[in-house]
Amino acid sequence: MLEAALAGLIGVVQPEAFMFMCLGVLIGSLVGFLPGIGGPSTLAIMLPFVMTMQDPLLVIALLVGMDAVGNTASAFTSILISVPGSSGSQATILDGHPMAKNGEAARALSASFVASLLGGIFGALVLFASLPILRPLVLSFSSPEFFILTLWGVSMVGILSGNAPVKGLLAGIVGVFISTVGLDAKSGVERFAFNVSYFWEGIDLVLVALGIFAIPEVIDLAGRKGTIAKAEEFGHGFLQGVIDCFRHWWLLLRTSIIGVWVGFLPGLGSSVADWFAYAHAVQTEKNRQNFGKGDVRGVIASEGCNNAKEGGDYIPTLAFGIPGGTSSALVLTAFIAVGIKPGPDMLTSQLNLTFAVIWTLAIANIIATALCMVFARPIAKICFMPFYAIVPPIVAFVFIGAFAANFHTYDLTALMIFSSLGFFMRRYGWPRAPLVLGMVLGDKMELYLWLSYTRYGFDWLTRPAVLALVALLIVSILYPLLTARARKKEARPLPLEA
Amino acid sequence: MIRAVEEIFFTAFIGSVMLAALFIAKDWPVRASIIILSLGGIAVILTIVQLTADYKALRHQGAAAVRPAFEVQPLEHTGRWGSLEIWAWLWGLFFAIHLIGFPVALPLFVFLYIKVYGGSWWTAVVLAALTWGFLHGIYDYLLHVPWPKPLISWFQ
Repeated sequence: MLEAALAGLIGVVQPEAFMFMCLGVLIGSLVGFLPGIGGPSTLAIMLPFVMTMQDPLLVIALLVGMDAVGNTASAFTSILISVPGSSGSQATILDGHPMAKNGEAARALSASFVASLLGGIFGALVLFASLPILRPLVLSFSSPEFFILTLWGVSMVGILSGNAPVKGLLAGIVGVFISTVGLDAKSGVERFAFNVSYFWEGIDLVLVALGIFAIPEVIDLAGRKGTIAKAEEFGHGFLQGVIDCFRHWWLLLRTSIIGVWVGFLPGLGSSVADWFAYAHAVQTEKNRQNFGKGDVRGVIASEGCNNAKEGGDYIPTLAFGIPGGTSSALVLTAFIAVGIKPGPDMLTSQLNLTFAVIWTLAIANIIATALCMVFARPIAKICFMPFYAIVPPIVAFVFIGAFAANFHTYDLTALMIFSSLGFFMRRYGWPRAPLVLGMVLGDKMELYLWLSYTRYGFDWLTRPAVLALVALLIVSILYPLLTARARKKEARPLPLEA
Repeated sequence: MIRAVEEIFFTAFIGSVMLAALFIAKDWPVRASIIILSLGGIAVILTIVQLTADYKALRHQGAAAVRPAFEVQPLEHTGRWGSLEIWAWLWGLFFAIHLIGFPVALPLFVFLYIKVYGGSWWTAVVLAALTWGFLHGIYDYLLHVPWPKPLISWFQ
């Protein structure tokens, strides 16, 4: 294992990979502090470019570097202008922006950067520590267990990634159905291709991801038309923010653990993690009267958690091939395209690549924090770019990226169709992450189901591990549904007495 | 009210797509249809559950129907016109690419969008030039991308 760890480190610090990692960190940071452009949208835009790369280490350096730091720079807009740069920094606003209003923007920013750094490194360490435990577990699984796991992954993301569990489950199934489009090599059946040769190769995930995520975000950004508020004072106390992080180390550690756990559970993304951490801080800390009015502990809790989440996110992604969220689903797609095989291989023959991911998570966080600290003042100014300077280049990227999927004009038509679907899904509160995840896992799910059926008939349903996983699946589905129902009943006003 | 009706239509649309998929897949061999038949039935049941929920929301003035999903950031309400405006731009770009080709349509789109919304000449020209440079530098020069031929041959 030590050799693999060393090989992973050497792999990511070699000049080319390191350059790609820095590029990923730059893009991730840029995306982080531009409100309205989420990490998944950018990952989707990057996919067509990344898939042409040959070296898996470069792909890891670029994408994991990008993914790891999105939440670090997003604190800029959350603190300065009360607009979350990414979904993981929403809770940062609650105390970060009041701090900026009180003339403590610099303190809030430095506290958030250091908390992000420490949280991110903690996440990478947990990922590292989990390997010896996961290895025997993953290797003992066969196709029936993997089928249930893929089903569990899609169901969990479907239920938890929105507050509309039924819609989420349906979206996941739509994703699985989309993954079946094309010529099925095993049976020779042309599935949902309607005699159109364009569909024979299947629908490219890049098109779906761009349409589902990137365009709806662009529509939102364009619709808001420069509603970004006026800048606050940058203020003083940059060093004080760093000291604050170490002074509240116990809070930072607890919220980082929450982050890792949330990341590990499929479906609970950054947007949930920071709120959990913030709520935990408010519930457990002493002298809580300042929370919401500019308490640095609120910033530390939220920012430490959202970066630690990334490490936790990669545990199921690498070990089981089941991404914990949208970003890791897109990273997983790129991994598969360049020959990285998430699952048992990542813990055996490709262990050095797993370590490359861990090292990238750690190093990218250090680079991003250093960048943010050094360039905090000039970056803060770029935050106030008007929408008309951001929207057209993104749209151009999206259209080029879509065409690059197959170099076919039908790609653009498909992009517009999936953009419409993404727009309506967002408009009517349908979670979009399960659709992408269903599409990513659809092939695997189908293969595992088929293998289970041909190998064991229906007996695979009675295997002890399968039964345990099915029980877990049922509890996972029913628990959020029942608690939501109970909460609704509690919230219902009592009838007035006559 | 209108929003709640729209939601019902959207759910019904998703449900009918699922039903159609099930209907098409029923004649395929097991290898090709196993996943569709396994999940399709569940999807139909879920659609009925969702339609019932949407209908209940409609009867209660759509209060529950407009809840935003957790994954989506709470954004300011922009109204339908705002969305239609950007959709017009997107479809305009889509047709422009077919008519005059990628290398002309994209920089033109960037330039026009910035100018229409009050950007300075400098910003518009620089960003359009950067888009053109990116298109030619990366895609033409490095990747030799075969751009689709535009319908108006003058732009080839």
